[in-house]
Amino acid sequence: MRIKLDDSLLLKVEKPAKYTGNEWNMVKKNPEEVSLRFAFCFPDDYEIGMSHLGMKIMYHVLNKREDTYCERAFAPWADMEALLRENNIPLYTLETYTPLHEFDMVGFTLQYEMSFSNILNMLDLGGIPVLSKERTGNMPFVLAGGPCACNPEPIADFIDFFVIGEGEEVTPEIIEEYKKWKGSGESRDQFLERIAVIEGVYVPKLYDVSYHEDGTIKEVKPSSPIAPAKVKRRLIRDLDAVDFPDDIIVPYVGTVHDRIMLELFRGCIRGCRFCQAGFIYRPVRERSYEKLLDLAQKSVEKTGYDEISLISLSTSDYSSLPDLCNNLIKFTESEKVSLSLPSLRVDNFSLGLMEKVSKVRKSGLTFAPEAGTQRLRDVINKGVTDEDLVSSVQLAVAGGWSSVKLYFMLGLPTEAMEDVEGIADMGINLLEACRGLPGEYSKALRITLSTSCFVPKPFTPFQWEPMDSMASLMEKQYHLKDRIKKRTRRIDYRYHDAKLSFMEAVLARGDRRIGQVLYAAWKKGCKFDGWDEFFSFDKWMEAFRECGIDPEFYANRKRKFTEVMPWDHLDMGISKDFLQHECQKAYEGDLTRNCAVGCSQCGAQAYKAGICTKAKRGASENG
Amino acid sequence: MAKALRFKFSRSEQLKYIAHLDILRVFERALKRSKLPLAYTQGFNPRQKLVFGLPMSIGLTSEAEYADIEFEQDVAPEDFIRSMNSSLPEGIRILEAVEQNINDNIMNQITAAKYEIGLETREDISQNEMDNILHRLLSRDEIFVLKKTKKGMRPVNIRPWIYSLSIRKKEMNSFLMEAFLSAGAENNLRADLLMQAFNQETGLEAKTLAMHRKALYASSFNKWQDPFEVANG
Repeated sequence: MRIKLDDSLLLKVEKPAKYTGNEWNMVKKNPEEVSLRFAFCFPDDYEIGMSHLGMKIMYHVLNKREDTYCERAFAPWADMEALLRENNIPLYTLETYTPLHEFDMVGFTLQYEMSFSNILNMLDLGGIPVLSKERTGNMPFVLAGGPCACNPEPIADFIDFFVIGEGEEVTPEIIEEYKKWKGSGESRDQFLERIAVIEGVYVPKLYDVSYHEDGTIKEVKPSSPIAPAKVKRRLIRDLDAVDFPDDIIVPYVGTVHDRIMLELFRGCIRGCRFCQAGFIYRPVRERSYEKLLDLAQKSVEKTGYDEISLISLSTSDYSSLPDLCNNLIKFTESEKVSLSLPSLRVDNFSLGLMEKVSKVRKSGLTFAPEAGTQRLRDVINKGVTDEDLVSSVQLAVAGGWSSVKLYFMLGLPTEAMEDVEGIADMGINLLEACRGLPGEYSKALRITLSTSCFVPKPFTPFQWEPMDSMASLMEKQYHLKDRIKKRTRRIDYRYHDAKLSFMEAVLARGDRRIGQVLYAAWKKGCKFDGWDEFFSFDKWMEAFRECGIDPEFYANRKRKFTEVMPWDHLDMGISKDFLQHECQKAYEGDLTRNCAVGCSQCGAQAYKAGICTKAKRGASENG
Repeated sequence: MAKALRFKFSRSEQLKYIAHLDILRVFERALKRSKLPLAYTQGFNPRQKLVFGLPMSIGLTSEAEYADIEFEQDVAPEDFIRSMNSSLPEGIRILEAVEQNINDNIMNQITAAKYEIGLETREDISQNEMDNILHRLLSRDEIFVLKKTKKGMRPVNIRPWIYSLSIRKKEMNSFLMEAFLSAGAENNLRADLLMQAFNQETGLEAKTLAMHRKALYASSFNKWQDPFEVANG
């Protein structure tokens, strides 16, 4: 069935082109001629989803297969949702206007915990039963993957199977099984059993969870002999060997990241103890700069974009950065393409680089010291010193940058009020240090201090830590605001909503029992929870009360090292012993060297990939 | 062969939900894909030298949009058409292109536009009755409607901007209106604002089914001219 949409509907919504597809490079296939129709769903607005690199990669990988047609769907904005519901129009894909319920597989990407309610909403809008157990016969299989799949338990009730780790290689394996299953007369459960043995596939219904009286988990155990006791995440060992899209879709409406994105590498050598991405993508694996140059040229040719952004967790750590940039700049200058370099460490080299590539006025430069005192930065293993920061900011200001943004977290483990005050003091010190510098803006330098609330995440050394209470976080925010205001007007202070972070903390480390709360909250109308204009803390709290579940048990409770975590049956390549050791080192303020300096035996070395295979200084010291 | 061209293009149903600024980007990217020798502005943020005649609002289809483009080297109009039509999405087609060698750009030249507006009234109305309604409307000196201006929403008299208006009954309650309206940098009357005024003044509550631009005009010496005629002074 092809959905018909007419003007009476589309002309009533904001930015109707978010719902009409047909963009440049959109893949067109005859759905009759493929064995598997896949709806790739992004549980947020089109402008966010179309900025997401992972979706572009999977769209490309799936559509390269002749037997598969991958289409896209996004969470409709509230105006469009109201019209869809009013007119009984199911949520559809942009490629062929097919309702979600007609697909073989419906896959969600999990980028952010606060988009979970949108998954339920999109399933419902797409005419698919929201609960996995209510799906029967030839209804689609609903799957999910992405970073938040490393704790899939809060949405286990809604998802038939999860893909753990990187998707390029495992998804085709799943498709092959699907083709064997389709038309075989086997049941839905039999398909799930077929794929449960594939490395990287987690079928939640094949696992039983039991609990202790105090509410903690007793055991997570396979209920079927087929299901592995531990599900191992998938990892691409050689990035050059997998396809990377150069023919990405060029949207009509402006998106958040409306440009070519070149992925330099996956993983991060740094090991900041709060950062989930820094652990779950280990080891660092680079794409070669020759391959990247080739991709840059082909991408510009095929898309017509005039901007390229280099993507990674820490651009400065890319081993061939000078080679890549020098060659890229030659190309971008001649083609009138601009180059942006996010996540750069500020030093002489990078400032020189920015000077060369920057076409816009030097306005804002961003730093992320994360904590206000050296002691606390050592706790989180953020290897930045006050001196580093002062000299970086001095360099930037002398080089003509007029405003500097600094990002911090409040509520980090072991934080005292002194550490909070350190944030204000750092801002003031920087102002002082830049006074009298030659840069044209040194007198007019503006500093913005921004604090988020620390949310402990699975597979980090802080996974056992309690999140700071909302009351304490708010007290710290007010204290900081006050301290800054009393001393200077040249510092702006911004902070995140502690209530939103609290909910994120519950969902991030939730177990299967959170599923019923999510369901209840969605029933109450929760959706787009990451958006201020939609987020309703009160509705969520009502949902917790109705389900008899205490959210603080998940957010604010200190776990014992011996406690069974809801995600312990997943293996993300990092050993629990290593994480525990890192946590203990954190309390001591003990730093851990980065992977480029030497191996710290995190567990990822077992993959024998990327940086783990390279000889480095200090490797021999390691036991 | 010329370093500057004026071209005419159409926009069909499938691309009519795109806002004007997005259309601009569609062209910029198509031009980049076309590998034509584009001319860029100087400065920090080089832009293609591309100017559109008149913005297109969301929902509008057209068979006569115009734009001016400059190149670094001579480009033949037929080469431009061929190479752009393979770089543009299906919903936009370049129809014609001519050399341009005046300094005044298309945006400053456009002064009027002709529209076809499909509408549906709530009840069956005869052609005669509709003609009378239109006649009464046009015989007025002033028709005030709220228009977004630089100073916010303000009542504006749009009557002087309506050059002609006619309506033809297609069936029962479905009509096709032809409107010849003032357009351009000054005194631009959009088709949707006209329909708003029409409903406000007649009380008909007619539903707009389609808005289509038939033609754009430049004017010189009190004569309406095809924008191609004024491309060379």
